[in-house]
Amino acid sequence: MSNAEKLRQLVLDVFLLDPAEFRFDLTRDAIDTWDSLGVVSLSVGIHETFGYSMTPDEAAGLGGIGDLVALLDRNGISIDAQS
Amino acid sequence: MRVQILQETHGADDALLLDERWQSPSTFLYLPEKTAVSAEWVDRAIALIPDDLQRDHFALLTSGSTGEPKLVIGSRTRAEGLARVLHAAQESGPVAETIVALPLSYSYAFVNQWLWSRTFNRRLVVTDGFRKPDRILGTLQAADEAMLCLVGSQLPLFDALAGDATFPGVVRLHFAGGRFPQEQLPRLRSRFPRARVFNNYGCAEALPRLTVRKAEEGASASDVGRPIEGVSLQSDATGALRFRSAYGAVALIEQGALKRIGPDDWVPTGDLGHEGEDGRWILDGRSGDVFKRHGEKVSAPAIVTAISSAWKGIAAAYREADRLGEPGLVLVVSPPPEAAELNGILHALRESLSRPQWPLRIEALEAMPLLANGKPDTATASSAPGRTVLWRQRI
Repeated sequence: MSNAEKLRQLVLDVFLLDPAEFRFDLTRDAIDTWDSLGVVSLSVGIHETFGYSMTPDEAAGLGGIGDLVALLDRNGISIDAQS
Repeated sequence: MRVQILQETHGADDALLLDERWQSPSTFLYLPEKTAVSAEWVDRAIALIPDDLQRDHFALLTSGSTGEPKLVIGSRTRAEGLARVLHAAQESGPVAETIVALPLSYSYAFVNQWLWSRTFNRRLVVTDGFRKPDRILGTLQAADEAMLCLVGSQLPLFDALAGDATFPGVVRLHFAGGRFPQEQLPRLRSRFPRARVFNNYGCAEALPRLTVRKAEEGASASDVGRPIEGVSLQSDATGALRFRSAYGAVALIEQGALKRIGPDDWVPTGDLGHEGEDGRWILDGRSGDVFKRHGEKVSAPAIVTAISSAWKGIAAAYREADRLGEPGLVLVVSPPPEAAELNGILHALRESLSRPQWPLRIEALEAMPLLANGKPDTATASSAPGRTVLWRQRI
């Protein structure tokens, strides 16, 4: 499974999105289940899936999936959002 | 006078033997065919029955949802009074026979079927439930103005076994002992085209009935309708539902002690509830099952209800702590859902519940373990081999 697919599955699971809803440019405002516990859950999931531990500031500062892709990329985890 | 013990066999003689015991003055204990309690437990419990309850009474064994065994002791006169009230409330006048698909030692079937049939001289057709599908399906095909009593958790298996079959000979269809399958009414009306469907609510201590409502008189599974004649309901400051009943148990034996129930005692049903419009009562969950997770009230009935529009199989939930030590619930579904069905379940959770109320995990089992009364056995399900994790929260 590619990193993009892993991230997609994680986001679907954490925010209970319908598969058809998912896009890499989704903002947090477009996800009604993006709440504080969801951010904690996403952080745990990112660590489990990619081995990267987000700082609280990084997690709280995410504006959407695009920011998450960029954050992971800056930390050496490449997500091919076109795949 | 010594208390007699009668054990159910699911055989043709069960009703005859029960009839003999009912006519004999000695109080008797009617035990299920299989029971987890030991003979020593039963002997100790019987030894606690006082002299004045050793005549003209009967006792049933229940484990309830707590798993703690207890004997409920009832008066035969009061139970016959309930059978007569139920006959009117359930509009049973035209019913010629009642088909038994549950253990007769279960208070619901004991009163609503065996005692009712005895009191009103109607046929009692004992089957082996869904353990012998051919027999019960054949009996239902041959039904003649029949009453059928089920618990909602039997429906998925029933649907799998019965396919598209219809049973026009069933004219009364009762549900009790668990969540009423409100969302499945259209399918039930197709399968039982001549049946009036009833939601019955009660508990073992009530032996067992407290309310009855016709299906069409409510829109929610939680709406149990109004108390029957002779029954009063109230909820206390915590929302715990309590009753007084002219037909309820006169004593309980649990945890090694006898507890009498007097006419002025309010007895907990084990549920939370409140009075709604027009004197109707609305269930809010099980008393022990409602707890807070991250500040939000969580309960198994709320989760099962939330997914009921998307999932027609069996669902149950058991309690577990998450990695932060917060209590939560694990949802178990059976049979395993297709991918689209799982998406529907997840969508329903998102639509109806807040994140703290979501289950910690969703697990699937090929077959849900069931208690003798047909309800999901959540204790066994929580450790059943072959569970598949379909979805999980990360915290």
